[in-house]
Amino acid sequence: MPLRTKTLTSRRTVLGAGAMLPLAFGGLGVHAQAKQAPITIVINQSPWFDSFRKTVELYEKETGNKVNLDVNPFAGSLEKQRNSVRAAAGQYDVLIMNSGWFAEMYAGGFVEAISDIDPAFKLDKDVYTLGDTVYYDAAKKVMAPCGKLMSMPISPLIPLLYYRGDLYKQAGLKVPETFAELEANARKLHKPPQMYGIVQRGARGPHTVAYDFYPYLYGFGGGIFKDQASADYTVTLNNDKGLAALDYYIRMAREAGHAKTAAFDQAEVIQQMVTGHAAHIMMVIAAWSQMDDPNKSAVVDKVEFAVTPHVVGVPPGPGLGHWLGGISKIVPADRKRAAVEFFRWFQTPQAQIASAKLGAIPISAAAYNDPMSQERRFRWMKPMAESLKHAVNIYQFPEANEVIAILELGLNRAIAGEITAASSLNAMADAIEAVMAKHNYKTGKVPPLK
Amino acid sequence: MSVDAAAPAVSGMADERGWRWLTLAPSALLMLAFSILPIINLVALSFLNVSWSGGKANVSAAGLTHYAALPADALFVAGLQNTFVFAIFAVAGQMVLGFVLALLTSRAARGRILYRTVFILPILIPGIVIGAIWKLLYNTDFGLINQAFALIGLGPFDWLKSADTALMSIVIVDIWHWTPFCFLLFLAGLESLPQDVYEAAEIDGANWWQELWHVTLPMMLPTIVVTLAFRIIVAFKVFDEVYLLTSGGPGTSTEVVSFTIYQRFFTEDRVGHGAAMSVVVIFLVSLLLVLALSARRRTEGAR
Repeated sequence: MPLRTKTLTSRRTVLGAGAMLPLAFGGLGVHAQAKQAPITIVINQSPWFDSFRKTVELYEKETGNKVNLDVNPFAGSLEKQRNSVRAAAGQYDVLIMNSGWFAEMYAGGFVEAISDIDPAFKLDKDVYTLGDTVYYDAAKKVMAPCGKLMSMPISPLIPLLYYRGDLYKQAGLKVPETFAELEANARKLHKPPQMYGIVQRGARGPHTVAYDFYPYLYGFGGGIFKDQASADYTVTLNNDKGLAALDYYIRMAREAGHAKTAAFDQAEVIQQMVTGHAAHIMMVIAAWSQMDDPNKSAVVDKVEFAVTPHVVGVPPGPGLGHWLGGISKIVPADRKRAAVEFFRWFQTPQAQIASAKLGAIPISAAAYNDPMSQERRFRWMKPMAESLKHAVNIYQFPEANEVIAILELGLNRAIAGEITAASSLNAMADAIEAVMAKHNYKTGKVPPLK
Repeated sequence: MSVDAAAPAVSGMADERGWRWLTLAPSALLMLAFSILPIINLVALSFLNVSWSGGKANVSAAGLTHYAALPADALFVAGLQNTFVFAIFAVAGQMVLGFVLALLTSRAARGRILYRTVFILPILIPGIVIGAIWKLLYNTDFGLINQAFALIGLGPFDWLKSADTALMSIVIVDIWHWTPFCFLLFLAGLESLPQDVYEAAEIDGANWWQELWHVTLPMMLPTIVVTLAFRIIVAFKVFDEVYLLTSGGPGTSTEVVSFTIYQRFFTEDRVGHGAAMSVVVIFLVSLLLVLALSARRRTEGAR
């Protein structure tokens, strides 16, 4: 059952957006084609949803076209998408797909290539392709520009380091670039229960603790597989770098973090930050607007943003937890065309800048290069633009959900102290290798950790 | 003569039997369609692999691989263990509390209707609301339970976030939720007991305890066994309380088997593996039902 399902009509006014409409969309009318068939978008209730809703309202106001939003919890959205695309006739025209399942939709043949619906459609040059995950070559089973354009980036989510700038100033601390620096700073500011040096997410969920562990894993130079791009799925999760990353994660939780990390979900981590009880969090960028919302935050204008740390000699490794919009293959042609028109409008620099002003995370470099990025309230844009260069696409295969489930359980058990980091990594590696072998991928294992 | 007389009788019986089958057929067909066939379909699915490509399902035989993989599934094993622990503690609590409340209510001279209404309230509340109520009650920072403990200088405790307390915290919610069910069945049972047996016991000079032990409990045994069977079966299917309060964590401390099936079948889309799990659980629940019914038969035989 959706949390909310609503039809957005052109009669609705967008709070605070009216004034900037003429400016933002002065030249946009040429792209926007009115009188398209109404479309339905199935989407999840994420922290960035509100900005997407407002962006859709702008589209409706600009074009007169209608868009229905079917809003669901994370797992509910996936289930509805599966049900819709596997039915005889699809209910949803646009599927907002998470990094954990878009490969399933591509490989399953459920998404129609945008370029097949409208051969004239071109991705705007400023739009990030997010590890080329918008493309899919069905013959080679790879995500690369040699494939077709399958989707439009909707929200380029990656984690950033959120830290308390005011506390840093008082303590004379330097913004951390390495994990060692982050640990030193977190320990210095750790004064529980009033202030935790860092608050991390450790709860098990559909894509929860695993997502938060990626910047640690890749920032330590580790990875789940040897080389996905060349289809080498040898499991390397339990090498020395993986162990260093998990040991660090657990040590931070126990010695500079919250005692109940293993039960903390995203909302609780954000809550710790906005109530002034966390000095650092590594959080998906979508939560930025909550930091400065006086109705939700006790730390307005005190939180700063930085690229996630890494070890010396290794680049940062923020894992892509992005959202892509794909068009269902089994919906009528007029609705497919209407969906393409929505994408055509959505990717324009003007729409992206307007969308960012409404609180969204833009998918276009045009917004990050706009003067707005220099404003205090958009102080996250600079580290975000820097981070996007290092974003890692974690999964390129349709069975990703099975691997994520293994990681969720293994990481959660290790953080909860049920098993050691080494035995957890070994068990996860064994299970992942079994999954990949079952699905006939070229796979293998590294020697187990002792 | 006798042969001639029997012929119409036999024919009449055959007609009657045919008529019975004819009238029974629609219900039997409905039963087959809605109850048996889905289970047959589930069993069949547990021997298959299902994958998707080109928008179509590809189905291939899996043999016994899904069943063979179950013992190695750490989540399934943890789920089974926790489900047994959960069922034992929750049902024991509900049975004892339900019986005590029913006993007190049946002997109350006044306000029976009021007691009955108050005691059955939790069972009327939707599961999602129960989740919200107890999430607030258990809250570490502002929950009423921790506030009560604070009055005597204890806590705060992380009821749902600590692996040591999370499962028992859910057991308490389940006891609160389902005790009214036991209460209602026990109360109905107590009120239907013959009064002359109690009068005889009173004449024989039995005290309250002797009356309970030698009269009430033996006569209530069939009701107790049926209630126990119902509750164990329902406790084995627990899902909503876990989903809403802990999602199976921290670690695997509150993982229950229904939640594992949900994850494997729906989230991970492993329909064959999830179907095999479901078949095993159906088998276990059926086994419990058979055991409970045979126990009931034995108690009735003993009477």
